[in-house]
Amino acid sequence: MSLEKKDEYDHKNWLESKDLTPVEATFLTALIWVDKRLRIVDYLELLESLYYRSNLQMPKSHTEQYDLDNKFWYWYALYTLGFFSTLAYVVAAISGALLGFYYVPAVGSAGPGEASIAYSQIAFIMRDLQFGFMLRSIHRWSAQVMTAAVFLHMLRVYFTGAYKEPRELNWLLGIVLISLTMVFGYSGYLLPWDQLAFWAGQIGVEMSLSIPLIGEWVAQLLFGGFSLSQATLQRMYILHVFLLPFVVTTLIAIHIGIVWVQGIAEPH
Amino acid sequence: MTDDNTNTDDIETDGGTGIVAPDDETPTWRERKERTEGLSRLTYEYFERARSEDESLRRESDYVERDVLAFPTWPHETVRNLALTSFFVGMIIFLSATLPPHIGDPANPNSTPAIILPDWYLYWSFGLLKLGPLNPELAILGGQKLMADRTYGVLANGVIVGAITVVPFINKGSARRPVEQPFWAAVGMFGVTLAFTLSMLSVKNLMPMNVDLLFDLTFLAPPIVAAITYAVLKTMREGYMYDLNRRYYRLRPPK
Repeated sequence: MSLEKKDEYDHKNWLESKDLTPVEATFLTALIWVDKRLRIVDYLELLESLYYRSNLQMPKSHTEQYDLDNKFWYWYALYTLGFFSTLAYVVAAISGALLGFYYVPAVGSAGPGEASIAYSQIAFIMRDLQFGFMLRSIHRWSAQVMTAAVFLHMLRVYFTGAYKEPRELNWLLGIVLISLTMVFGYSGYLLPWDQLAFWAGQIGVEMSLSIPLIGEWVAQLLFGGFSLSQATLQRMYILHVFLLPFVVTTLIAIHIGIVWVQGIAEPH
Repeated sequence: MTDDNTNTDDIETDGGTGIVAPDDETPTWRERKERTEGLSRLTYEYFERARSEDESLRRESDYVERDVLAFPTWPHETVRNLALTSFFVGMIIFLSATLPPHIGDPANPNSTPAIILPDWYLYWSFGLLKLGPLNPELAILGGQKLMADRTYGVLANGVIVGAITVVPFINKGSARRPVEQPFWAAVGMFGVTLAFTLSMLSVKNLMPMNVDLLFDLTFLAPPIVAAITYAVLKTMREGYMYDLNRRYYRLRPPK
């Protein structure tokens, strides 16, 4: 017996008593070293429990459990619209990132009498780039589909009363999200800098100028002035590829997180 | 955290429906250890040692196991979700392949095109800009309008968003189905129809229709649709609610 303080969990002693192979000894020493410092046992246990829990079972839904309405499955398709819009958002994000490799937000033209650089980059993507036409097509359609799904999702939530009492905040968040989706669409619409983009931008400037009191400020903030210029395209570009993606992704995560926490409101 | 619930007789439950989960509870470190070999077995052996002090604490805890029964996440839910995902992505790709987008002429500030339109989902908002005839001319201002037609249209957007925002603060309660609340279903149909007619109004140059008639219809159609919705649901309501309530009372008899 020594006078040295002995740990109740004297792992070293335990190791020596185990007659391990070099590989095992090295592994265990490393494991113990890391675990003493970072307590990975907690995290591993958490992960493992999650793994085993995933084989456990989800609760029966309200309708299934109480056999409330055997015709309820008619409406199941509408309950996937939120997921569908998220999915379209992901598809748009991926195809948009790929398009971003080639797009240049520049109003000026490469030479006299030529179209703007932004426009000719779109033309390049559609004409010369391998798979570029399809890429732009996928980006555009996923955006359209996302918007449509978001609108229908909102209608579903309204007509099944899913916005009611404990879920008001998510309804408000949904309104913010649907608005941001439309801003996403609008800013993307301006990026090709074709005729429609230009004149839609013109209407946008005029609309913001018509807002009482803060109109001029809004026009300068969003469009970089009272008429369309390089600043407009630049701002729409940053809005579309930088600002909105961060904000909207965060809000979608919170939106879905709240649904997760509160559960899906089922008709009853 | 079911660590030593090997004895199934004394599992605590929340006194639920009596439906018991199948026998695949989260295994203990000891069980995991015994199932594995080699380095992972060693890992578990160590963790079992390192954790034995927590084990006793947990054994004393009053954690309540909940009764659940439904489809397993794997493979049922996961495969279904993957199938749905691939179906939806396939749908998007099919659309993009069959209906590729068009690009117009390059921007030219000197020539205004005959038709300027935003994307379809902004039509309703665009339609609101064409509400000039509804902007009141005030007698005190000598027939002047209080605000420009444009400002009026932009503010109308705020009114619509505001109306949508206040809905959950006005309509409370547990009613979920439209038949349970015909009024609110009618309000919803009013909104849907208004969005649709406003979209029609925004493309009035393209509508094969008298513009004045279109303008009138924009505001006549929504109340008509709402009235029809209300009437239909109100008529359905009696029989439907009888059925619904009967089921409810059978489930949870009134005290």
